[in-house]
Amino acid sequence: MNVNELIKQNNEKRENLNEENKKYYTDLMLYIRTKLTLSEKQAEEVLMEMLDHLLEAQEEGKTASQVFGENPQAFADELIEQLPAEEKRDMVKFIGQLAFSLVGWFLVTRGLVLLLFSNFVGASTTVYIIPTLIIFGLLAGIVFLSVKVIFGLIHQSLFKEKSTDKMNMIKVGLFGAGSFAVILGANYFIRGFGPSFEFPWSASIGAGTVFLLVSWLMKFKTKINSTM
Amino acid sequence: MSLRSQLLKGILDGCVLAVIAKAPVYGYELSKKLQDLGLGDVSEGTIYPVLLRLQKQALIMGEIKPSESGPNRKYYSLTHEGIVALEMISSEWQLLSVPINALLMKGEGTHER
Repeated sequence: MNVNELIKQNNEKRENLNEENKKYYTDLMLYIRTKLTLSEKQAEEVLMEMLDHLLEAQEEGKTASQVFGENPQAFADELIEQLPAEEKRDMVKFIGQLAFSLVGWFLVTRGLVLLLFSNFVGASTTVYIIPTLIIFGLLAGIVFLSVKVIFGLIHQSLFKEKSTDKMNMIKVGLFGAGSFAVILGANYFIRGFGPSFEFPWSASIGAGTVFLLVSWLMKFKTKINSTM
Repeated sequence: MSLRSQLLKGILDGCVLAVIAKAPVYGYELSKKLQDLGLGDVSEGTIYPVLLRLQKQALIMGEIKPSESGPNRKYYSLTHEGIVALEMISSEWQLLSVPINALLMKGEGTHER
């Protein structure tokens, strides 16, 4: 059984938990899932086992804290300590697929925008190689950081009695605004130098489609591998 | 943590291996069997970190397959290394339990005639 199926089944089964057990289990699940360095397959497997266990215990009238202990965070930390790390190979594959899909969507969107609006605003189709690479690097860095920051905030906010949602929203907002400013600034100051080439809308859509296709193939291949 | 569960903690891995050695079990089944044996003092969830650790040490392996009642369960069985480890834990326990019993049970008359 592959990871996506496990997650889907988990979502369905979780609906059968009562209010109290669901809160306990969902916090536990999010706490483990937001720890991104763990083997996803192993983590989802143990999460499914514990969900099945909790469902059977619920039938007997037990609560989640009777089954997994009064201190969910300590219990979750113990699980995390014993879970194996994600293999580097899988991590590289995942990030590669994400990068291909991002670049693909970017190129397709750029092509469409040029096609639809170039008559009105006279946008340039010239691409300067070095500034483009710098901005892409910045974007990739920001995406990577955002994922880390947001997952880290969720990870920290679980199991807390007092809600820290408002504070977290402000943090994420500030982070978003900062990133936006960096990209805008980079776009403004770093441009129009070094070697360049013409990149019309048709080529942009074509290249973008290839990138998306590669990303889709990568996803398809992992899916086949994980079912075997 | 109660005294009993503290004492049990060190030997729980061995108990889990011993239950799995009898027949492959899934998580809930394992905790039921431990409880039926009278080892219900650790919270049921404690077996999951233990199962993960034993898997990481390659002493047991899990396999997802349909259960008798229908839904898929992850069944654990001992590996070759697991069998060896269980034998070692059993003999170590023997070596410890005899003198400890003699020491702590004195006065209860267990050794008299």
